[in-house]
Amino acid sequence: MKAPIECPRESDVLDALASKRWPHRVDRELVDHVASCQICTDVLVVASAMREDHDATWQEASVPSSGQVWWRAEMRARQEAIREASRPLTFVYVVAASVALAVMAVAGWLAWPAVHDFASSIASTKVSELASPVTLPLLVALGALLVVAPVALYFVLSDE
Amino acid sequence: MFTRDMTFTDVERLDRIAAEAIETFVMDEDAFRAFYDRTARSVWSYLARITGDRALADDLLQESYYRFLRAERRFDNESHRRNYLFRIATNLAHDRRRRGRHAVSVPVPAENEPGALVDRSDLAGDTERRTDLARAMATLKPREREMLWLAYAQGSSHEEIAESLGVRKASIKILLFRARRRLAAALGGARPTSARGHAEPRT
Repeated sequence: MKAPIECPRESDVLDALASKRWPHRVDRELVDHVASCQICTDVLVVASAMREDHDATWQEASVPSSGQVWWRAEMRARQEAIREASRPLTFVYVVAASVALAVMAVAGWLAWPAVHDFASSIASTKVSELASPVTLPLLVALGALLVVAPVALYFVLSDE
Repeated sequence: MFTRDMTFTDVERLDRIAAEAIETFVMDEDAFRAFYDRTARSVWSYLARITGDRALADDLLQESYYRFLRAERRFDNESHRRNYLFRIATNLAHDRRRRGRHAVSVPVPAENEPGALVDRSDLAGDTERRTDLARAMATLKPREREMLWLAYAQGSSHEEIAESLGVRKASIKILLFRARRRLAAALGGARPTSARGHAEPRT
């Protein structure tokens, strides 16, 4: 036979404790029952210790005011909402920068033979011929691109 | 210097987003403040006892109410609200324990804590009893501490405990029985202390 895990008098014991009638203002019959019932004895021991501790802890509790808690919650909710709203924008910038880098890499790879031929022709050309109306602007544009592209990329990525 | 200046439209948009965030709270300020005033001390006491750390209880209290406010759900009544709040507090305490940031050690109550409900003559006895309880509680599993506190310190029903801890109601009876047995044994089966004397039935 299984040992019982509850007793019908548990609630009487708890009521007596809650109403502070235990032990002086309860029926002898209940006291006798508790003395002979392991479950009710446990309930009495545990509940009385915990209630006493609860009352003391309750008094010691030093909680912030409701206004303070509300204000902090409000501030935090605002910050989180703004952070959340800014996130897609950051994502778009990162994607745009990645695409730009990829396009530059592909363009460089495709243009490499032409650049190579151009470099070879420059190597075999006299310096005075480089200053021709066609090659000089081309060289200047190429140099400017090399300087401007990383700066532009930096501006885009540092926007946040 | 490279940060993009916010336009007036940006500011307006973010203001609107921030205002909308407050509107998603489960209750308005007045209702919240009343609810908080009714529950904060209970929640703090619960957190302090199950974590054994007052500073942590302070942190988790704020966090519990914040998460409660952001909960995307409706509550039928005060009891549901309250149980849900305790569930959040319980889960936060579990999270902290799992992260290992906090080793549970139920503290010894300070002898001269302000506001104790006792008169000075019985202060030593009360402190000793609370110390005994703290030590005995420390030998229990976290779930047992939570269950016992809700049942016997706060007087919650089995249904409320089940809702607060996320445990099946059918399991509460046996779990509570075992936890109570263990705590009573750890307390040495001593007679209750609140009686402050031997049981003397009314004659």
